[in-house]
Amino acid sequence: MAFPCVRPCPRHVSAGLQVCGYATLSKASRPQEKSSAGPVFQYVGQNKKPTHKVFVWGFSFTGALGIPSFVVPDNGRKKPRKYQLTPYRLETAAQISSAACGYGFSLIASSTKDTSKLWGMGLNKDSQLGFQRTQHSRHQSYDYVLEPSPVALPLVKPLQTRVLQVACGRAHSLVLTDRAGVFSMGNNSYGQCGRRIVEDEVYSGSHIIHKIEGFSSRVVQVACGQDHSLFLTETGKVLACGWGADGQTGLGHHNISSTPVEVGGDLSGVEVQQISTYGDCSLAVSRDGQLFGWGNSEYRQLASVTEATQISSPRHLPLKGCGKVVQAACGGSQVAVLNDKGEVFVWGYGILGKGPNLSESSTPEMIPSTLFGRSEFNPSVAVTRIRCGLSHFAAVTDRGELFVWGKNVRGCLGIGKRDDQYFPWRVTVPGQVVDVACGVDHMVALAKSLL
Amino acid sequence: MATPAVRMFRRLEGLFCVYKPSGVHWKLVRDSIETNLLKGLNATPSQPLPQEVRFLAQPSSETEAPKGLTLSATSVPALSKHPLVTGPEFRNIRVGVGHRLDAFSSGVLVLGVGNGNKTLNDLYRTRVTRDYTLEGEFGTATHDFTHSGGVMERSTYDHITQDKLERVLAMLEGANQKALLMYSNVDMHSQEAYEMAVQGLLGPEGKSAPILTGLRCIHFQPPNFILEVQCLNETQKYLRKLVHEIGLELRSTAVCKGIRRTRDGLFTLQDALTHHYWTAADITQAIRQYHSSKKHRKRSQSPAKKPALKTSEDVTAAQQNKANEEAAVGTIKKLVAETSS
Repeated sequence: MAFPCVRPCPRHVSAGLQVCGYATLSKASRPQEKSSAGPVFQYVGQNKKPTHKVFVWGFSFTGALGIPSFVVPDNGRKKPRKYQLTPYRLETAAQISSAACGYGFSLIASSTKDTSKLWGMGLNKDSQLGFQRTQHSRHQSYDYVLEPSPVALPLVKPLQTRVLQVACGRAHSLVLTDRAGVFSMGNNSYGQCGRRIVEDEVYSGSHIIHKIEGFSSRVVQVACGQDHSLFLTETGKVLACGWGADGQTGLGHHNISSTPVEVGGDLSGVEVQQISTYGDCSLAVSRDGQLFGWGNSEYRQLASVTEATQISSPRHLPLKGCGKVVQAACGGSQVAVLNDKGEVFVWGYGILGKGPNLSESSTPEMIPSTLFGRSEFNPSVAVTRIRCGLSHFAAVTDRGELFVWGKNVRGCLGIGKRDDQYFPWRVTVPGQVVDVACGVDHMVALAKSLL
Repeated sequence: MATPAVRMFRRLEGLFCVYKPSGVHWKLVRDSIETNLLKGLNATPSQPLPQEVRFLAQPSSETEAPKGLTLSATSVPALSKHPLVTGPEFRNIRVGVGHRLDAFSSGVLVLGVGNGNKTLNDLYRTRVTRDYTLEGEFGTATHDFTHSGGVMERSTYDHITQDKLERVLAMLEGANQKALLMYSNVDMHSQEAYEMAVQGLLGPEGKSAPILTGLRCIHFQPPNFILEVQCLNETQKYLRKLVHEIGLELRSTAVCKGIRRTRDGLFTLQDALTHHYWTAADITQAIRQYHSSKKHRKRSQSPAKKPALKTSEDVTAAQQNKANEEAAVGTIKKLVAETSS
């Protein structure tokens, strides 16, 4: 047992009897002598705060896990580790408060005011992690970043700005700060970075990190779809830009939009509290617990209001039996919502979490709470956070446990095997999970120690 | 032909539970129960001594000596059948023990008498959970995880709050829930596995590592605390080690001051007989109560308010007992035939 600090507590050491703490081992049971000499160890003080840790797992060859020895082993004897099937600790320089997983890359951010607040790792062929200077030449950028490397944001006041949230899409990423707005980097062929599209632009080795303008009020949440971006302002308005062929921008047309435009449809006049997207379908949850959706519906995600395969304008989704919706999470072909009682409802196509027999549903199906640890001994366990990767789900309960289910793409579930998981399964993370970010083939979890 | 003793012997077939005090080996408990039962059986009035006709010489009542020997037939009790000559009628009764409790622990200990031993075997082949109350104390670590062992280390515990203890218990519960799924032999890719997981029926069949199906803290006053545990396939040493490990997780140390089993399958502390009641009469009554409650359960086999594993225990126990009773009747007939010859 490796304890962080071991020092004898001074008030218990009697003068002179500095013997080692072993009493004589006698078979006869005798009552404990409270005043026996010997050191009393203090491993932890009364004011110890829990340590925050980051765990990663999944496919490692893109560098998205941030552990270079998995891709390029330290010594000749070791072999490269292609799939990390169980959570692995990622050592970070600062305490990470926000993480996001894209398609083969990850961004982690700390809410500190120091100069380094944002690190990126993984695929960088479209400069989705900014310009990462190579060792040999300062004009070249790495295509694969194997360990968390700082991303230099062009902040006006770098020592007074904090990064609140990060989001990653297929080849672009968004960074939300508290006083400097939203920054975007990466591929802009469809305008997903919120800037003017330049024909034949070369994104690899690009230095451009664009500060997105055109917001009437402060942005409080960002979400990245595959090739589009969504922004939520503090007044509850949603703005979108990027590719719209599936109507995922919700602007009423199927064209590209290269600047953020306010989304209308059923959302006009509605105060939205959360937005979610990862593939080509988008969802918004209003403050009074209603769900709105737009975009791709080929997998029956929006089948409660339409039989069409796409909707280009937000529509209100009448969900029967779901109660007040608190959170929504959207994946590639499946959707999950969380209500205020901590119950999870899923629908769409794929492995939905109710066994192999349920592979598609157009109406919400509730996942029984017993699968999340509710029992006679613990009748009040509830899910507090729900996230979707491209083809899997993750749920975090109020006790700090992480449950995953869905397609196990290259070991992204972290359950120790590469088989698909048809109902919620616990992931053994050493500590209490605070938040989780799901990608296509990897995941990042933010946890804190028990004590 | 059935004397009160034989009738009583016949009634002593079934299961009952006693409260084993701590500090006593389980075998002593079993032996004293066996002795008490035999004492009780031998004390009940058995059949009266058979009379036999003997020709005894009359004592001379007249002074003159008679010409010949006068014998008169008298019916005297046959001394060869007297219990002081033959020894007690009942010398052996089969008393078996269910899940054992080691000397440090106390609580419900299930015993079976006569044909109840067969029921014991079958009952424990199905999945049976047991409830324990563990008393622990922070601040010391000993070599055998009890408060009376040799002290290995002492540490501070003033940083421990109930909230931190709850977090550690939640973590342990999560790990054990996962172990339940891992040890079950069902194919995880089937719909059947999902259905069983929803109902909480997934679990190991037969032998496995100890698994806790429930864990919570019912009393917390540093340095003392009391945990309630519901477990499968456990040993008491494992439970003491659990207390020790909880101390380690809380960055301190802990020892176990007492283990008490409050429930073993369907037998609870309410039904357990304490030391004063280890007599044949009370044990017969306990067995009768067990049989009647079993019949009551068989009659009202409503689909589970309790988890389904309990009804499966009921069903096998009920079926087994039915078979047992028929077998018992057969053997008792044999017994009666023996005693009469």
